[in-house]
Amino acid sequence: MSANPEVVVDGFPRRRPHWIEVVTSADHKDVGRVMIGAALGFLFIALVEFLLMRLQLAIPDNSLLTPVTFNRMLSLYGATAIFLFALPLCLGLYYYLAPLQVGARGTALPRVGQLGLWLYLAGATVLYAGFLFTPSEAGVNPLAPLSELAFLSNNGVDAWAVSSGLATLGFVLIAINLVATLRRMRAPGMAWRRVPVFAWAAAVSSWLLIVVGTVMLAAITMLLIDRNFDGIFFADGSGGAPLLWAHMSWIFYTGTYMLILITALAAIAEIVPVFARKPLFNRNAVTGSLLAIAVIGTLAWMQNMLTAPIGIGWMYFAMIMSLALIVPFGLIVFNLIATMIGGTLRMRAPLLFAAGAVSMISIGLGAEISHSMVAVAWRLHNTTDATAATHFALVGGAVFGGFAALHYWFPKLTGRTMGEFLGRASFWTLVAGMLLTFVPLFISGGDHGQVADAYKYFSGTGVSTENLIASIGAFVLAIGIILTLVNAIASLGNGGRAGHDHWGGNSLEWFALSPPEPHNFDVLPDVRSDRPMRDIREAVAHRSRRAAKEAARESQPVA
Amino acid sequence: MAPHSPGTDQIDTLLWIGFVAAAIVIVAINGALIYALRRYRSERGDEPRQIRGGRGTQLRVGAVLTGFAAIVLVLSLIFTDKAREIPTTGSAGLAAAKSAPLKIETTGQQWLWRYDYPNGAFSYYKLVVPVDTTVELDLISTDVIHTWDVPELAPKRDAVPGKTNHVVFRADEEGTFDGQSATFSGQAYAAMRTEVDVVSPAEYEAFVKQQKADIQAAQDRVVGLIEKGEVP
Repeated sequence: MSANPEVVVDGFPRRRPHWIEVVTSADHKDVGRVMIGAALGFLFIALVEFLLMRLQLAIPDNSLLTPVTFNRMLSLYGATAIFLFALPLCLGLYYYLAPLQVGARGTALPRVGQLGLWLYLAGATVLYAGFLFTPSEAGVNPLAPLSELAFLSNNGVDAWAVSSGLATLGFVLIAINLVATLRRMRAPGMAWRRVPVFAWAAAVSSWLLIVVGTVMLAAITMLLIDRNFDGIFFADGSGGAPLLWAHMSWIFYTGTYMLILITALAAIAEIVPVFARKPLFNRNAVTGSLLAIAVIGTLAWMQNMLTAPIGIGWMYFAMIMSLALIVPFGLIVFNLIATMIGGTLRMRAPLLFAAGAVSMISIGLGAEISHSMVAVAWRLHNTTDATAATHFALVGGAVFGGFAALHYWFPKLTGRTMGEFLGRASFWTLVAGMLLTFVPLFISGGDHGQVADAYKYFSGTGVSTENLIASIGAFVLAIGIILTLVNAIASLGNGGRAGHDHWGGNSLEWFALSPPEPHNFDVLPDVRSDRPMRDIREAVAHRSRRAAKEAARESQPVA
Repeated sequence: MAPHSPGTDQIDTLLWIGFVAAAIVIVAINGALIYALRRYRSERGDEPRQIRGGRGTQLRVGAVLTGFAAIVLVLSLIFTDKAREIPTTGSAGLAAAKSAPLKIETTGQQWLWRYDYPNGAFSYYKLVVPVDTTVELDLISTDVIHTWDVPELAPKRDAVPGKTNHVVFRADEEGTFDGQSATFSGQAYAAMRTEVDVVSPAEYEAFVKQQKADIQAAQDRVVGLIEKGEVP
């Protein structure tokens, strides 16, 4: 420890209303908080869009929504769920927590991060400025040439492109700041081998986003040039190539898929050791696997193009990359379960959601194994079977994993705890909702070949029962999500007060106050292991035991 | 859904292998997870032993996972390769397609499939092919990306503007098979269906001949009307 005196500030007097302070602040905690809050708000909106689509698909030949309305809901749902919910939730958590976890007093480029938040919010505003734009009708991934001017001539696709472009640019900026912060501002002794798994995942995800996000930005720019300035990047026949959009966008979407799973698994790898009161079974295997998922997983982007006119060699390449993912994903799950074994598991909401996330992700990725087999993809590609697999993996990651992180870090973010009863109720409702919604879709897609993204299905195709159950399940799922959102809002003002170290955590964010001061830490410990907070607790306990012993000795009469 | 072509037969087998692989993964993970959560649940209790796993365990687990992935990979390679084999026309098939597959140009357009037969006839929505005959569809698109998908007969393939994709199949029995386009293509995507009628070679010959004659008659009638000035 340095002997230099430290300036300790005990709160600044506020000059402006609190909410203005928060939304105009460049502090990583304020930016992260706004991002997490906005992301959860957009989760609700995405849910409404999903429910409307499921209502339309509840019975065959339904005409509740017109095809155009359905396609708008589909496009809005895809953009909202990925660009406005899942990615900002992951990045918001990283941005809030990773600097705290590595013992940094702020971020390296705070204004860059703040700009990132504002670009994301600007993107969200553009997407939902419905009174100026008609929503996109081009689907979840607006594949060229459908997204070209010749086929969708209203400004919906432009709105989609501008909004996802702004948001993606914002995410890349935040990723750049995270990379710089984690590289340069770690506390003394916080070597990479001691960095908490979640902060490591923040670095991995940031690099991943810098790569795939810029690819997407390029693709979106090209699409905008095509649509507005007579470009021919994705137009066939004049030197352009429709498949170019497919390649570039799938690189981004596949990278995003991996990023969501990396974030969820890393958060779970923080939660499980704390609630089992054991160290992570093998830290190096987990961190190495997270990195491997980012690299290998993104290289498997052509798994989405197994029916396209590309060479069989590329298809085999995609399959090898996808199947290679079995090893890192399997190792992480093995280490999580091995951490539980022999521990004393406190079954609280964070652990419950973490276990649920592992379970849901395992169902999704298990199904993805068959989808990555080339000939199976020739049957199941773009069926509701694929929808179900993707949703098990990504809802498992972003919703179950996100809620696990929310319950776990809520005391740190707000100084209050989330209600345990509502947490449990939400969890079991969510599990029931997931199984009811997506298991029937596995069957209707796998057995009857029902196609994804279609605004209706016909009676007599044998999928009516499955779709009705799925629609009912979607409402159960919605209740589960709403319960946790209500829980979070109610706990903001009424939750039980939490101390600085509510769960007995291992990493340094629990050393700061709840919520942390603007400068994060008054003093910083020397980091000597990968569980610095545990070291601090033990040192404090040791010191107070010794003090008690010495006090007892001093009170003895002199012999 | 029963396979009715050599290729889809292989796909069906691989589908089951994939299902088994997925089931193994899902049951193993969830079983272990539920066991660990039930067995080691305790609200209080002493701090457990702070065990960390060594590199050896990780290598062994990694080897098992690699082995599993390798088995899945090899099986998929084998069956995918078999599914790609081009079958030859059987004895009950069309005589003209004995040496080379019967080529039918298939065009996806919003939101209809058009089939162009070798003799110049064409049909919309409904494709008629002879039984036990190797049929090759040359898939193209005139607007956006579509996917031709008749799961009982053939692997699904994209029709991409500017590129030609190929679907090969040999229907093993007469009947009608339904299909649906499987890539989101805009407003009437859900209604972009198709139907394959598998008939005997004689019926096929009669169909394309009749179709060609009908088209010619319709054209003649339109030309006649234009010449008479009844159609501007």
